[in-house]
Amino acid sequence: MLNIDGSQGEGGGQVLRSALSLSMVTGQGFRIARIRAGRKKPGLMRQHLTAVGAATALCGATVSGDAIGSTELTFSPGKVEAGEHTFSVGTAGSTTLVLQTVLPALLTAGAPSRLTLEGGTHNPFAPPFDFLAKTFLPLVNRMGPRVEATLERAGFYPAGGGRFTVEVTPAAQLSGIELLERGEIMRRSVRGIVSNLPRGIAERELKAVRKKLSWPDECFEVVELRDGHGPGNVVMIEIESEQVCEVFTGFGEVNRPAEAVANHATQQAQRYLRCGAPVGEYLADQLLLPLALAGAGAFETVRLSRHTRTHIDLIGRFCDVSIQTDDHGRDGATVRLG
Amino acid sequence: MNNNVVVGLLGPTLDRGDEADRWNFWRPTVSICQHEQMLVDRFDLLYEKKFRKLAQTVTEDIRSVSPETQVCHHEINFRDAWDFDDVYSGLYDFAAEYTFDTDHEDYLIHITTGTHVAQICLFLLTESRHLPGRLLQTSPPRRKSHGPVGEYRIIDLDLSRYDKIHQRFTLEQRESQDFLKSGIATRNEAFNQMIEQIEHVAIHSHDPILLTGPTGAGKSQLARRIYDLKKIRRQVGGSFVEVNCGTLRGDTAMSTLFGHKRGAFTGAMADRKGLLAEADQGLLFLDEVGELGLDEQTMLLRAVEEKAFLPVGADREVHSDFQLICGTNRNLSADVATGRFREDLLARINLWSFDLPGLSKRREDIEPNVAYELDQLAGRIGKRVRFNKEAAERFIKFATAPDAAWSANFRDLNAAISRMATMSPAGRITVEVVDQEITRLQRAWAPRLSSDDRRLNALLQPQQIDELDLFDRVQLVQVLAICRRCKSMSEAGRQLFAASRKLRKSTNDADRLRKYLARFKLSWSDIER
Repeated sequence: MLNIDGSQGEGGGQVLRSALSLSMVTGQGFRIARIRAGRKKPGLMRQHLTAVGAATALCGATVSGDAIGSTELTFSPGKVEAGEHTFSVGTAGSTTLVLQTVLPALLTAGAPSRLTLEGGTHNPFAPPFDFLAKTFLPLVNRMGPRVEATLERAGFYPAGGGRFTVEVTPAAQLSGIELLERGEIMRRSVRGIVSNLPRGIAERELKAVRKKLSWPDECFEVVELRDGHGPGNVVMIEIESEQVCEVFTGFGEVNRPAEAVANHATQQAQRYLRCGAPVGEYLADQLLLPLALAGAGAFETVRLSRHTRTHIDLIGRFCDVSIQTDDHGRDGATVRLG
Repeated sequence: MNNNVVVGLLGPTLDRGDEADRWNFWRPTVSICQHEQMLVDRFDLLYEKKFRKLAQTVTEDIRSVSPETQVCHHEINFRDAWDFDDVYSGLYDFAAEYTFDTDHEDYLIHITTGTHVAQICLFLLTESRHLPGRLLQTSPPRRKSHGPVGEYRIIDLDLSRYDKIHQRFTLEQRESQDFLKSGIATRNEAFNQMIEQIEHVAIHSHDPILLTGPTGAGKSQLARRIYDLKKIRRQVGGSFVEVNCGTLRGDTAMSTLFGHKRGAFTGAMADRKGLLAEADQGLLFLDEVGELGLDEQTMLLRAVEEKAFLPVGADREVHSDFQLICGTNRNLSADVATGRFREDLLARINLWSFDLPGLSKRREDIEPNVAYELDQLAGRIGKRVRFNKEAAERFIKFATAPDAAWSANFRDLNAAISRMATMSPAGRITVEVVDQEITRLQRAWAPRLSSDDRRLNALLQPQQIDELDLFDRVQLVQVLAICRRCKSMSEAGRQLFAASRKLRKSTNDADRLRKYLARFKLSWSDIER
């Protein structure tokens, strides 16, 4: 049983989720102690329990310490059960994070799976559904398996009520990929989405983005959703290049001007465009795990965050794979596995 | 870990909203299920029929933000949600019908929603443990930008769980105990423990208390202290009424206790209220309760149980609600066995029974009590009297020695201090004064003079008696008693040595008796006289 220090890294939850994924794939149990030590309210929170619960349901694990406020958890995985699974997630524990936790184990499972996830799909504390569908899953598909996500209904924080399905056709073995060049930019788009909110909010956001990016008119689109549970607003900038499609997001919040929301997304996009590396900061973090399972691969990223470094350490504990990083400072970093 | 169960009323105002923008507002019931640090396994939602639609919306919203939470609906109808009687009864019935499983579930009673009357009722039901849980209070976010979830607090009404409150209670408790001990820093552990219990009972109970123990052990003083403590805590409003039942004899006993109507009997010139009626809302101390006649016992039992009794000659009952404390130095259980005391009355009055030890069983408390008596005396005579150092040491040494009987307990100590003070006009108690007092006390504690002792006094010189060991004296008294009953020394000898007579050949009993008496310089003729 591996011993993991739960106080490392920034998220706390990320270390736990990653450990759950790695544990299910490798069959290696773990004990994580000092969970969120030093925080105002240490120990597990609901969103962490949601991830633990989903992992447990998927592989029939033996778990102890899975309670709110618990600072120590042990997880001994069982056999991963591919097939139909539904995960209902409260708004705080985003559905996309739950999917990222359970997906690695299904990529090489013996049978296809169909997952239904209910809850928040667009949550400021997690990657939005669009990042999954457009950025992450296409790359996973290039590694062998076939994963398709379909959004039925968006669910914004705090109301939630969203729903999407994921079809997974596993591969016998993941193959590594290389993402060293961004290549030509093929498509650019900016979408301002409002759910049960005035259209004007999205229009102001798009105006603010256009001021900075000066892209042609056809790149900008307002999307009005009426079927959603509660109010919600997000502005998403997509940059699709030969190798990868990156998504940058700004979430609308009560008392936060539309322009500020737009600027948050714009700045990320500008930074990405300036650097030239194909893989954004968040995607880098997400790519590590499938590449490690493939045992090979390389990518060029905008920046090595503390998150990513923590993640690399954790992967090294579970997998026999060497991960080399070459930090170029402001020009990004190269990560090579194998 | 136990499941979290929230019991709460739907808030028709705070929880309202059916448009999508409701999510921008703080809705207490939904917000409870949105906290990252609290998982609600079940929500028992109480609502009035007219708010059924809102209950449905709130339930769906809870499912959305917290699929882990099972929401159970309980329809509860108030005629008037601001009527205390109505709301309390409704919530009481809910609590009575609800099956609480406190071994597996932790209950949180949400008091932020509902009318103020409902909040008060929920508080009362939680405090009285009809709702066996902790209170849950929710509050809106401090700033709008913090999102709609807001904050929550769990309030445990078990006040001992709060350090600061607990410290205050401990202090108050210690003060009350000091008060019961008249501020005397007693050292006897058993006694101090008993005072702790009495303090607790006095504060938390209105039931009768029985104080047992030898005369002078301080029963009456303690009863008054309990009354004073209850008075300070505003638990009694009436007066302290005290009577020694040993002084109640015959016809007057009834009317003294229960009162009489004018003309009830010869000499009943006017209405008399009676002690029980006087003690209404106060405290009645019946000392020597074992001396009460059987008729009075019957009346008293009814008065204690029904808080009502019939005065002599009256045709209407009088009501009086008083705290009863009884004192006795008799063994009431034995009196029950011999039919002297009613068993049912004893059962009623000794619900709380405390045995006050005599002073000789609390030797370590004598010194602080001496100081207390000197203080009291100073207050009474307006003059401070002190011991010389040596005198104090000698008195305490004597007072705490194992053979100091203190047979009248605190009465002895009080009298001793008074006497020594009187003998010390200059305000200093000297060794000589102490020595005189020691002699006085020893004489008082000497075994009581029986008729036999008096006979001994008649036959022997005082100095002779003083030189006798108790061992010899006891024997001699018995021997002399037998001699008095016999016509001759031979007859007395036969009786006194009857057992050894059977075994021994020698039968000269008279001679043995003569030799025995001679040891005390007595002859048969002395006894005959």
